[in-house]
Amino acid sequence: MVRPRVRENREWLEALAAGGDEREAALADLREVLVSGLRRGLTAWLEADSPQLRALAEDVTQEALVRILDRLDTFEGRSRFTTWAYKVAIRIALSELRRKQWHDVSLDQMLAPEADEALGMTVVDPLAGPEAFAEQRDTLARIGRILQEELTPRQMAMMEAVALRGIPMEALAQKLGVERNALYKMMHDARLKLKRRMAREGLDLGELIAAFEGGNTSGLQIVKGQGG
Amino acid sequence: MPGFFDRVRLWLVSPRRERATLQPSAIAVLGRQIEVTQDFEYDCQDVYRLLDQFAEAVLRGEDVAPWIPLIRAHLERCPDCRAEFEALMRTLQGQES
Repeated sequence: MVRPRVRENREWLEALAAGGDEREAALADLREVLVSGLRRGLTAWLEADSPQLRALAEDVTQEALVRILDRLDTFEGRSRFTTWAYKVAIRIALSELRRKQWHDVSLDQMLAPEADEALGMTVVDPLAGPEAFAEQRDTLARIGRILQEELTPRQMAMMEAVALRGIPMEALAQKLGVERNALYKMMHDARLKLKRRMAREGLDLGELIAAFEGGNTSGLQIVKGQGG
Repeated sequence: MPGFFDRVRLWLVSPRRERATLQPSAIAVLGRQIEVTQDFEYDCQDVYRLLDQFAEAVLRGEDVAPWIPLIRAHLERCPDCRAEFEALMRTLQGQES
């Protein structure tokens, strides 16, 4: 395999915008760069050096080259050209992987809690006395009430699916027939509405946040199977 | 043909799902996400536009503090953008070695 020629950003742009052999050579080099880059970058999703990874990298690169040429004028030169090209290719690759992974999963299945969650996990402070424990439970109950009052069941299910189970927003958005960015904005609006309501009710979630960032000394922690 | 918000609104108010009881752990995680919500946040397009520049800065060990409030906050909340960032970092790190 011939090692791709190293180019400065300007050289990439000039060569890809040119015609004839110069452009063909640049495209061939960029193709090599992207295929090897994807094979490094996607090892968290597919086994390194597997036939599946090689095939995906080849297929995605073809699509990425078309998109890169189409959007060449949007490259702002804030990074190396190849980093920008990797970004384009990675988005295509991960979209394809998500599409395959979630293709046979219905929207309702995505939003249904997993069996493990239904068993019940609770937030407890093993070192807190009965009064402090009751206070924590009261705070959680108030938050739960606000969530249920402000959100429809489906809004809540979407927030749970993304925040708790890491369901890709793109997978959810595809099932809804909308863009992922629009879904993010809608969820942001819902979070903002909830935050304002909690502020009006004087709810301070600071302790809760500290517990989940591991920086608290109160001992709040998630314990599985202690009832809900 | 209904627009995006009409379609989403229709879907959201559809009575197909019963109101579920939230587990306390779920309330706590959602509560955290709500608490850190800002009036202005980067959306997926904003982060995508800056991702290559941000990844290179992280890799060079530069001070990315000015980026953190907006970009990191989005990456924490959005599993899709986080996956893209991680894949890009893995790609660039391999290239450097």
